[in-house]
Amino acid sequence: MHIPDGYLSPETCIATYAVAVPLWFYGFKKLKEKLNEETLPTLAALSALSFIVMMLNIPIPGGTSAHAVGAVAIAILFGPWVGFVSISLVLLIQAVVFGDGGISAWAVNSISMGFIGSFVGYYVFKLLKDKTKFAPFIAGYVGILASATFVGFILGIQPIFWVSNGHPEYFPFGLKVSLPAMIGAHLLVGFAEGILTQIVYKLIGEKTAQRLIA
Amino acid sequence: MKKKIYILLLVLTLLVPLGLLTDADAWGEWDVDYFKTHLGFIPQGAVKLQNMLNFKHLLPDYSIPGSNEVIGYYISAIVGIILIGAIYYLIYLFIKRKKV
Repeated sequence: MHIPDGYLSPETCIATYAVAVPLWFYGFKKLKEKLNEETLPTLAALSALSFIVMMLNIPIPGGTSAHAVGAVAIAILFGPWVGFVSISLVLLIQAVVFGDGGISAWAVNSISMGFIGSFVGYYVFKLLKDKTKFAPFIAGYVGILASATFVGFILGIQPIFWVSNGHPEYFPFGLKVSLPAMIGAHLLVGFAEGILTQIVYKLIGEKTAQRLIA
Repeated sequence: MKKKIYILLLVLTLLVPLGLLTDADAWGEWDVDYFKTHLGFIPQGAVKLQNMLNFKHLLPDYSIPGSNEVIGYYISAIVGIILIGAIYYLIYLFIKRKKV
């Protein structure tokens, strides 16, 4: 889901930065409220966990691969803003040190994997937490699927708007290809994100989780 | 609570070379050469932007160029974890100083 440099038009990059910067500022404020001696080690460990699960590429039929993100686990424990900012930090390190995801695409990657994954996962969890014990799994599954759908959308609109001499200038595959490809891969990887979210929730423990959520 | 999370982190870090079992790129994360093979052309705007934003990464694609793949992957995992820990600690120090 890490969009590289060059796949999005400069206009898309600028627009997504314009959206992301105020969200980062507000999210960082929320992070500051949540960070203390007790939460710091857990949040750092969960962010590191996110980094590691993104290295665990899962083969997808059709010659591609995908990975879990770990955003939803942070979001349901520390709130969606903290999930968003934590994943953004991880993505920045990946872009700068490892060349995974573009610098110009840091904003869009933070919005897809961080913001959308966290918020969708968080609200699905909230809706289901008193109805089923599998609420974390479902939240993880739906959250990453929402992230992937957004990536498919933003990639797929590139050839609609940016064409020169009959050839797409940036990402060349349209929505009819990009949406099914991204959603299809993450219908599978959703299980990994779901299981991860459920395990983390279980390990943190119901009581601690309840206290963190409140 | 955090001890169990650390154990999970340790276990997944030890298993991280499993991520190398597939060398297939994620969908939409290919090098631009992919388009040459599959479409017969390379989107020119993409090439221009990539050349403009091109810089050397410390551990490109989670590897140490010229070294063993698994070792490079392990070292990348450890470097990533240390960097993330350090950033959170710095944020924490920054917040604490402001509160005092």
